[in-house]
Amino acid sequence: MIRDITLGQYYPEYSIIHKLDPRLKLVVTLVYIASLFIIEDFFGYIIVAAAIFAVIAASRVPPRFVMRGLKPILIIIIFTFALNIFMTSGDVLWEYGWLHVTRQGLYTAFFMALRLILLIVGSSLLTLTTKPMKLTDGIESLLTPAKKLGVPTHELAMMMTIALRFIPTLLEETDKIMKAQQARGADFETGSIFRRVKALVPILIPLFVGAFRIAQDLAMAMEARCYRGGEGRTKLNALKFKRRDLAAAFVSAGYVAAIIMERILL
Amino acid sequence: MLRFWLQAAAVAGVYAALTMALAPFSYGPVQVRVSESLTVLPYFTPAAVPGLFIGCLISNAVMSPYPLDFIVGSAATLGAALLSYALRRIPWLVPLPPVVVNGAAIGAMLYYLYGVRPPGVPTALSLPADMGFVAIGEAIACYAIGLPLLKYLERHRRIFEY
Repeated sequence: MIRDITLGQYYPEYSIIHKLDPRLKLVVTLVYIASLFIIEDFFGYIIVAAAIFAVIAASRVPPRFVMRGLKPILIIIIFTFALNIFMTSGDVLWEYGWLHVTRQGLYTAFFMALRLILLIVGSSLLTLTTKPMKLTDGIESLLTPAKKLGVPTHELAMMMTIALRFIPTLLEETDKIMKAQQARGADFETGSIFRRVKALVPILIPLFVGAFRIAQDLAMAMEARCYRGGEGRTKLNALKFKRRDLAAAFVSAGYVAAIIMERILL
Repeated sequence: MLRFWLQAAAVAGVYAALTMALAPFSYGPVQVRVSESLTVLPYFTPAAVPGLFIGCLISNAVMSPYPLDFIVGSAATLGAALLSYALRRIPWLVPLPPVVVNGAAIGAMLYYLYGVRPPGVPTALSLPADMGFVAIGEAIACYAIGLPLLKYLERHRRIFEY
């Protein structure tokens, strides 16, 4: 089970979207999410959908791979859709017993479902086209102004990078501990949810103690190499804002302008 | 200081690994995120506060089906961890902030941003129901696993020294 987990959902490709500066991608994703919440009608969604399809095509990530992100919440989308259709009051279009479908209900159901789908597809493009390490570099760089307020941005980014590096090791460790406990008769699969959850305590403790031991060893190794972090430290792969990033920023600004114009004019 | 940050990275790593290893239970309205039991760790060390925040940030960024969980969920975890740290003198109250803060924040996020309406609940009660379901899941993780974990780790306090 644990071996099937891929860290994040990065899809390696040599596309222009993959090559863009992670800082730009982070900012554009946040702007994109905000744009979805200022849209009030379906015309706005046509602009968003066109933009998303263009980005998917440019990223060369297979559309079915992008759509996979929707799988875990498909039931929630369907359920919310049905609830909005049947529970919204307004002009009745069809009625059967206590069930009724209204014009407003249909509108809200499609509107909310579309918003959810576009939200998930759009934001999963960020993790599909950016390596986790690049993302942390981007976050650190974007948080630089917070450094002046005393936020330890370098330390937080270093911690994030190390935690990301720890995850595969710890996943393997979890798998090993679970198997070792099962071999000793531990049962994680039967009984009430309360019982099953409680059965996990014997996994947590060795996992936790092991992780702390790794952290101690790593601290010692880093200190032995005179790590002191922060000021004056250089990077092997420094982020550079290139011409293509500027072009992408202009395209994104065009997208925002189109959304605002749509809201004002229609 | 380096040891402080590496302890925090260890907490973040365990949090993220556990969330991912038990993924089907970890996201959504009815979730029991076993990793939330680690929210008792501020009782032992302040390094757990940034650790839990970053762990939650990573788990939500790479796995959550709700993209805004990345912001709302992580901010809620940070707020709860700070409160747990403030309450560290009363052990049985340490797991309470994540139950309350996450229940309110994630429940509100599911209701307002994603339009999640729990089945069989009148529409007027959907918001408190969303909050309640998240809080129940949190309570199971924090009290059924978190509290025994706290008691056990109490005997091994020296692993938190840095």
